[in-house]
Amino acid sequence: MTVAPDYAIETIGLAKRYRTAMALTDLTLTVRRGEIFGFLGPNGAGKTTAVKLLLGLTRPTSGAGEVLSAPLGDRAVRRRIGYLPELFRYQEWLDAREVLGFHARLLGLATTQRRDESERVLSIVGLTARAHDRVGTYSKGMQQRLGLAVALLGSPTLVFLDEPTSALDPLGRHDVRVLIEGLRAAGTTVFLNSHLLTEVERVCDRIAVVDRGKVVAAGSLNELLGSASLVRLQLGGIGPAARDVLARIGARSERAAAANGTPVWYSVPTESADAIPAIVRQIVAAGAAVFAVEPQRATLEERFLEILTEECAVAGNHVADPA
Amino acid sequence: MLAITSLTLREASRRKVVAAAVAIAIVLIGLTGWGFWKLNASLSGHARDPALVAGTFSVLVVMLAYMFSVALAIGSAFLAAPALSADVDSGLLLAILPRPLRRADVVLGKWLGLALLVIAFVLAVGGAELGVIRLIAHYVPPHPLTALAFLAAESLVMLTLALFFSSRLAPIAGGIIAIALFGLAWIAGIAVTLATTLGNAALVHAGTIVSLIVPSDGLWRGALAALEPAVFVASGATAEGAREFGPFAVSGPPPAAFLIWSAAWAMAILAAAVLSFAKRDI
Repeated sequence: MTVAPDYAIETIGLAKRYRTAMALTDLTLTVRRGEIFGFLGPNGAGKTTAVKLLLGLTRPTSGAGEVLSAPLGDRAVRRRIGYLPELFRYQEWLDAREVLGFHARLLGLATTQRRDESERVLSIVGLTARAHDRVGTYSKGMQQRLGLAVALLGSPTLVFLDEPTSALDPLGRHDVRVLIEGLRAAGTTVFLNSHLLTEVERVCDRIAVVDRGKVVAAGSLNELLGSASLVRLQLGGIGPAARDVLARIGARSERAAAANGTPVWYSVPTESADAIPAIVRQIVAAGAAVFAVEPQRATLEERFLEILTEECAVAGNHVADPA
Repeated sequence: MLAITSLTLREASRRKVVAAAVAIAIVLIGLTGWGFWKLNASLSGHARDPALVAGTFSVLVVMLAYMFSVALAIGSAFLAAPALSADVDSGLLLAILPRPLRRADVVLGKWLGLALLVIAFVLAVGGAELGVIRLIAHYVPPHPLTALAFLAAESLVMLTLALFFSSRLAPIAGGIIAIALFGLAWIAGIAVTLATTLGNAALVHAGTIVSLIVPSDGLWRGALAALEPAVFVASGATAEGAREFGPFAVSGPPPAAFLIWSAAWAMAILAAAVLSFAKRDI
């Protein structure tokens, strides 16, 4: 297969069987160069297996794929790839500089470059002050920061981050978000495997949802979530004409209008975000005052659960409704 | 590959493997040196029969070498048994293998690092032990360097075998299987000695085949032949001698063909380890 040059990753029908268990049944996806790609799925969906296949750590049972225009696992291409594993573990008997020096050597960096490159990535992840301490003395969060530094070593073209914030506090998560945005600005492709849907929603350009070993939905956030299906309006000074307009467009007040004229929130169903200006124009023309307009759409979490529930129903395993 | 070798050596140093080995060696050499000093003193009190003295010391050196050989074999096996599998299980290799290196570099780099450690240990500790005995008891076995070379070769056989198992099996499983095969080869060596005294050709053949499948015992016998005085080796070739010396009876150094076989065996097992690890899903 030939990967179009604007794709960093392309796979067709990639599958992996471990003895009797099918870890991945059909991974077909494309990741464009320079984009932040979110890879989502429930536990056991095959996310880590997919990453291992793309890195050449595991060989596919069937299917094909290319990474940076080379076959999966190509040795020369691995020089341009960074990887933070979900199960991150580094030599606890080395200090951070020694770990980075070792990886820089494996990358083939010249001896003179190794130190500078190590210092650069240590500074990015905020570990410079502890760089002389043994990794064994690090907290899990610091070890994950070290893992990020290892992944960024040598300024890779493509970075795989498998649950990069699993051990980090809110400040650390914010730092990682800033780091990913910095990678995007530098044109680096990021393959982000994460459970934290709000994070994925905030940083990813495109997303794929994997369930039971295959991609069940993929696209940009707009494509996956759709545009606004509801708009919330905060209105005041509602007279009879405005009341008629609100009734015609199906607006529902979220609570009874106060006698003192305090603005009230209304919800109005829309077919798309494009319809919102016309709705506002009609209300204003009817004499009401518009204090706020908030287009509403499903969150990634809601859409994610919806996709998985649909998949579950298709597979014949209906999810029990907790209500 | 050399990056992995260097990391392996640094790990042994940082995790105090080297320090522990040196501490054990100092205790061992100190205790045996004290024993030889006491024995030498008690023998000096009597009219010394040079043949009796040499015979006594040679038997003690052989028994000491035997203990050293078993400790080396077990130590080498347990050093190599976790070398690959423990790093896979812990996740250490997840960050290393996506780098632009071959899986073979990891296997060969680890093997070279561990082999250097084992060879250095055999030469340093074995050499120091024989040096102390020479200093205290004025006894030097016939071919000390050859004996050390055979002990190092035996350790490398065990190291290579355990590394092969480590390419697929959990550390404990690999270590136990390697030690079990070492024990099997040892029993086979004794069986050959017994069969020689009994004139049982079938048992001699069976034992020889086992010693070819795992050449550790054959190499130990090379060390034995280099340590025993020529008169013992000559009598070991006879049924009476074999009966008298039991498990320590040896009729001569191993033939060149066995040495070539052992080297080829080690290379084949190392190649199998490389292939097996290259095909492993991480």
